[in-house]
Amino acid sequence: MKKLNYSLIIGMVITGSLLLFALIGQFWTPYSITETSVALKNAAPSMEHIMGCDNLGRDILSRVMNGCGTTFLVAVLTVAIGCVFGVIFGALTGFYGGWLDKIIMRLNDILLSFPSVLLVLIFISVIGKGKYNIILALGILFIPSFVRMVRGEVIRYKEQEFVKSARVLGAGNLRIIFVHILPNLTVSMLTTAAIGFNNAVLAEASMSYLGLGVQPPEPSLGRMLSEAQSCVFNAPWYAIWPGVVIVLIILGFSLISEGLRKMTES
Amino acid sequence: MKYVLKKFITLLITLFVISILTFTAFSVIPGDAALSKLGIDASPEAIAELQQQYGLDKPILERYVDWAIHALQGDFGQSFNYTRMTVSELLSTRLPVTVILAAMSLLIIVLVSVPLGMLSAKFSGRWPDVLINQTTQVTMAIPSFFLGIILTVIFGIGLKWFQVGGYVSPDKDLLGCISYLIFPAIAVAIPKIAMVVKFVRNSVLSEINKDYVRTAYSKGNDENQVLYGHVLRNAMIPVITFVAMVVAEILTGSLVIEQVFNIPGMGRLLITSISNRDFPVVQASVLYITAVVVVINFIVDIIYQIADPRIRTS
Amino acid sequence: MEQKTLIEVRDLTVGFPSEKDGIHTVVDHINFDIHEGEIVGIVGESGSGKSMTALSIMGLLNKDAVIMDGSVKLRGTDILKLNHEERRKIQGDDLSMVFQEPMTSLNPVMRIGDQVGEVLKLHTKLSDDEIDLKVAEALTSVGLKKPEELMKSFPHQLSGGMRQRVMIAMAIINQPDLIICDEPTTALDVTVQAQILALLRKIQREKGCSILFISHDLNVIKEICQKVIVMYHGTIVEQGTVEKVMYHPEHDYTRKLVASMPEQLTEDIPKDPLIHVKDLNIYYRTAGKIFTSKKDRMVYVKDLSFDIYKGEIFGLVGESGCGKTTVAKALTGLNTDIEGTMDLGGTMPQMVFQDPFSSLNPAMKIGKILEEPLKLAGVTDKAERRKKVNEMLLDIGLDESFAKRYARELSGGQRQRIAIGLALMRGEKFIIADEPVSALDVTVQSQILKLLIKLHKEKGLTILLISHDLNIVRHMCSRVVVMYLGRIVEMADVNELYENPMHPYTRMLFESVLTDKKKTDTDKITVNEVRPLKRDQEMCAFYGRCRYAQDKCQEKALELRNIGTEENPHLLRCCLRIGKDE
Repeated sequence: MKKLNYSLIIGMVITGSLLLFALIGQFWTPYSITETSVALKNAAPSMEHIMGCDNLGRDILSRVMNGCGTTFLVAVLTVAIGCVFGVIFGALTGFYGGWLDKIIMRLNDILLSFPSVLLVLIFISVIGKGKYNIILALGILFIPSFVRMVRGEVIRYKEQEFVKSARVLGAGNLRIIFVHILPNLTVSMLTTAAIGFNNAVLAEASMSYLGLGVQPPEPSLGRMLSEAQSCVFNAPWYAIWPGVVIVLIILGFSLISEGLRKMTES
Repeated sequence: MKYVLKKFITLLITLFVISILTFTAFSVIPGDAALSKLGIDASPEAIAELQQQYGLDKPILERYVDWAIHALQGDFGQSFNYTRMTVSELLSTRLPVTVILAAMSLLIIVLVSVPLGMLSAKFSGRWPDVLINQTTQVTMAIPSFFLGIILTVIFGIGLKWFQVGGYVSPDKDLLGCISYLIFPAIAVAIPKIAMVVKFVRNSVLSEINKDYVRTAYSKGNDENQVLYGHVLRNAMIPVITFVAMVVAEILTGSLVIEQVFNIPGMGRLLITSISNRDFPVVQASVLYITAVVVVINFIVDIIYQIADPRIRTS
Repeated sequence: MEQKTLIEVRDLTVGFPSEKDGIHTVVDHINFDIHEGEIVGIVGESGSGKSMTALSIMGLLNKDAVIMDGSVKLRGTDILKLNHEERRKIQGDDLSMVFQEPMTSLNPVMRIGDQVGEVLKLHTKLSDDEIDLKVAEALTSVGLKKPEELMKSFPHQLSGGMRQRVMIAMAIINQPDLIICDEPTTALDVTVQAQILALLRKIQREKGCSILFISHDLNVIKEICQKVIVMYHGTIVEQGTVEKVMYHPEHDYTRKLVASMPEQLTEDIPKDPLIHVKDLNIYYRTAGKIFTSKKDRMVYVKDLSFDIYKGEIFGLVGESGCGKTTVAKALTGLNTDIEGTMDLGGTMPQMVFQDPFSSLNPAMKIGKILEEPLKLAGVTDKAERRKKVNEMLLDIGLDESFAKRYARELSGGQRQRIAIGLALMRGEKFIIADEPVSALDVTVQSQILKLLIKLHKEKGLTILLISHDLNIVRHMCSRVVVMYLGRIVEMADVNELYENPMHPYTRMLFESVLTDKKKTDTDKITVNEVRPLKRDQEMCAFYGRCRYAQDKCQEKALELRNIGTEENPHLLRCCLRIGKDE
């Protein structure tokens, strides 16, 4: 009887249900996500509005459902950008080495040693606020971590005897990279992606909280927290659900990456 | 010595690259500062006049050299927004607040996570380890600004341990400032503590399985002697690098948390300036923050070198 | 002479809790004694339980290991029954241990002096100064020079051999009654191995302590032990004096172990060169600079000339770092930075690598790995590729079911069979086997060597066999070349070379080799490890280590000269003429 990988299972369950929750929120929500109501301003949780209403009288549950989808979208797109370019740069520089590799690595190290939020801030101040700008900024900023992982693994595998063996048998460079080396990176790639999702969610939430990400009236979890803060004396419950959902999304992804790590160790 | 020199040169290069990057980034923006300051309705003459006043009409290389020379002397020009103050004056009041805040969180992180990590490793697989593991797994997932709101609600509004929005500047009352900053520092620290605890634990555990530990036992050392006499120092070497990475994140963590607790530090200045497109301030803030990060990395490299004889003597 | 019993092991049984079958027993009811002043060897393959036995006596078993039964008595006291505190008083005081990996067994951030002195700090009341004196003394007694300087240095500043000497100094400093040595020479070069063995014997003679010596290598055991215990799957299958066990083995397994070398090949090969190498220089780029130019490369192998005849097994020997593998890389095209003539006779040399655990792609099934060479050779018919793979699996002594498995599901020996099959898949007639068995257990080694011989005969293969193991080369090869620091120093027919080695380096290698002939004393190998001289210089590269070195050795570039006959050349690169009696 093999020991169950609880981290992976719980992580999958959390992420899976939130994904479903967010998906439903794209097509159906209990109430309108934009319609305001003076009567319901800062309404406490009740049977009709189980999470209560915000400072403009909008249903919080509806907005959380919809905002959750935005968060996933941002996360998936940023990781996709980081992954695609990271794999290409990482594999090529790792495999071929040379001066280009050295310059890219130097740049990579400099970028990696900087706080990512700061870099996003610079980016945003240059290209402006907004959802797609955040995706672009985060995506580009995730490239270095993928480059580093892929490059490191490629260099490690490059020296392994099975790669030399493939070369002796007559395989060309690209075949060695894509057929012989990259399939070995699947799990590391998934782990890095899970960590990337994690960071993307956190960064998107922070940016939207600071008012630089998703713009109103489109709901976003980070934005909702900042609104919640402004009425923290009147409606302290507002902050709970958007916050908890962010925590759950991040927890789900970090459990998955933890589970993947355990998988590679055994 | 050669090592220190090498690291110092890396430091200078990094600063140089960052200064170029930030400078060019802000020079290619469509719609420059003059425009954003005067608004779209402004007459072309007024804009041209202001551009000339800020030196925005000269070629970019000249502007960079100009800017860099002034920056080296601590002169980052005038803020577009805070008209009465130079950028340097503005920063000199804001930077210390952020640095104090970051230093406090760092202190909390190190003091809490190293012992916890050791404990977790020592009892690996048993209940203290499992408990620490699961707690850190959850706390790692809480964004510090959410934590900040929770702390405000519980300790500020509920228990009234601190006055919400009652920040005092360090010049007036250093102690009062520090006591106000404790909660933001905790909010920044908690998610990072989780990361560092995990890292320390794994580092200690990977050392414990190494051959030299068996050698130490074979000499008749007991568990504590092995743990503190042999394992600890080896395990701390990678932790030093990790903490350096965390420091960078603490700094940005404090940028965001300033917004939550209404602290007039670099973070708030940066966010406002970004919204106002006050580029001299943004440029200078970014450069200041990066400088802090780079210097910390440099210091960490030196500590690393002292801790690891393999670098020192080869 | 009546010897007192020091250690008495009775019914010792050790196991690990496993999820499959409750407890997995790794040492099963073993009994043996160690007398005072005796060197006892335990020999066995990986997984035989020999290391577990040593660790049980030493009290260093992993936390999850369980001692299920039995006793280990040290002068009558059962040390398995002692509590932690009492146990610690014995560790390092009555018992001490030398481990296999000198590179990792020392604490990397602690000074040598502190590490060696720690035992005294724990077990005696000596002052720091007295301890320092004793440490210096111990370091000197294990043949290390400048002890004061050494005490201040860190492990990474020392060579492997020096570190192992430090480990030994650490083990003897507190005058223990028993030193347990767990594969202490396995990680070292043969010449260093001989020095360490000589040192251990000298220490045992001088201090009168007992040694429990654990090894997988029969020759090492023969060399140093008086009594030997053979372990197999956790049990002792045979024990007795070395004389009895090694030369008159009773148990089947011991016989297999003793006779693990295949029959020596004797065949007459027509002198028809297949591979012709003449004046070949092989270069490496020196890394570290951003822009590398041709000038930054360094010559790694120089003036290489040899022919390999069609259908022969040609041996290449030398220590690690001599350039053996570099030659293989040049021949297979992995290193293309070469100058000189390299005629491969139209072959595309294939290679069998040393480490079967890294030579097969972990992400591919065996079938796909074996198909790859066919795909690269342009065989597009899937059915045909499958058929050829299945045939090859049978040829290498496996069956078709292996095609569906991953490399990680296979044993080391099985993997090496696949690696050999992979090299033959394209139907090439010349393969290079680079240390093909050095990562394998002794009995598996002989199976793989036999497979190579079988394929060599059946398919008419020409093989370049690279090895540091002189015994293997003697049995497998018809001609042998010896390399030192990137140059050929001697080359001859196998019998000529083994009976009449002429180069001082070859002689040193042979003296270090532990063969059937038991030598009375190898203490005369006192040559210290001298830092290798630069590769690209013209004078004799062996000068710094040569015990016959004379002034004239430094003068000029040395040519390979033939000291044999025209038909049976014996090439030598040495300016001295050493008589056979020396």
